[in-house]
Amino acid sequence: MWIQTAFLVVWLDPLGLRLHTMCSPVFHCYACPLATFACPIGILAQFSALHVFPFIAIGLLVTVGILFGTLICGWVCPFGFLQDLFAKIPTPKFDLPKFTGYFRYVVLIGTVLLIPYFFGEGHRLFICRICPAGAIEDAIPNMVSQAIAGQPIAWPNAVKLTILVLFIIAVFFVRRPWCRVLCPLGAIFSLFNRLSAFFLRFNPDKCTHCEQCHKLCEYGIQPEKTPNDLQCIRCLECTKCSPDALNLGSIFERPKTESDITINNK
Amino acid sequence: MQSKTIKIVVVSFFIFLGVVLFFYGAFLHSTEVTAQTADSPVTVIKSEPALVKDASVGGVARDKSGKIKQTYEKGEKPPETCST
Repeated sequence: MWIQTAFLVVWLDPLGLRLHTMCSPVFHCYACPLATFACPIGILAQFSALHVFPFIAIGLLVTVGILFGTLICGWVCPFGFLQDLFAKIPTPKFDLPKFTGYFRYVVLIGTVLLIPYFFGEGHRLFICRICPAGAIEDAIPNMVSQAIAGQPIAWPNAVKLTILVLFIIAVFFVRRPWCRVLCPLGAIFSLFNRLSAFFLRFNPDKCTHCEQCHKLCEYGIQPEKTPNDLQCIRCLECTKCSPDALNLGSIFERPKTESDITINNK
Repeated sequence: MQSKTIKIVVVSFFIFLGVVLFFYGAFLHSTEVTAQTADSPVTVIKSEPALVKDASVGGVARDKSGKIKQTYEKGEKPPETCST
């Protein structure tokens, strides 16, 4: 929670720099007055509409993805953090069927890439026109300020309003509903989970098949069977299992030598 | 051990690819954009960071002929926030 809060300070533009010439690797609407960087999904969609290859956004997503995979989702993304805060409200929580996670790829391919490419930025299903992050971070504050100023209120379109209402209801009863079902950025990072430099390591020698990790995982994954699952947001809750069979590994670790083992045994 | 070596190679390749794409976009890539003026349209060359900034406020669009044009006039202030 503190790490997520610390990153929030980066994304919310405390110095008013508004560095929108660059993307961040997180899901945060660039129309928000408190956005330091441009949203990578918004930029992918806009450039798709312009028929221009987004080298900066793709380069950033590939570099960050191959290093961290969905660790970004679990520890860095402000929209994920917002959902984690809502999850702390003591309402009954329900699990979603695993197949719902594949809708993220439909959103990515459809509303971020194909619809903008073939129909332009004005199409009603262009990702930014339906995104709940944009609705919460920009549309609602704009509507409130328009109401206070006595100006005519510009309402978001019906699809955006519907998704927003469904999202607000869902966050009380499902952990991270946007991340699990619809997030196109999570869909991109999840593709790197099995290759990334930082990964979840499962040690079968230490596993006692107690299934404690099943209970610790709040996203319905069985970490000892699929430690780098496409649906995993790498919250690392499963690493708290007592046999210590699951932990965060990296390719940068030095393999243990005989002298290390001797020192440890002493 | 062999699988770890393969993984290091794959990770290194993707990091290299990502960094090359990023730096190419940040420093080399540019696009022609038609800017509206009071007299007639003018073509300007915009770097990708400038295009990213303009795109984030709905300041550029693709017209029917396939050309990228600014949605605000040259010399005018760009929109404050995205039109979506």
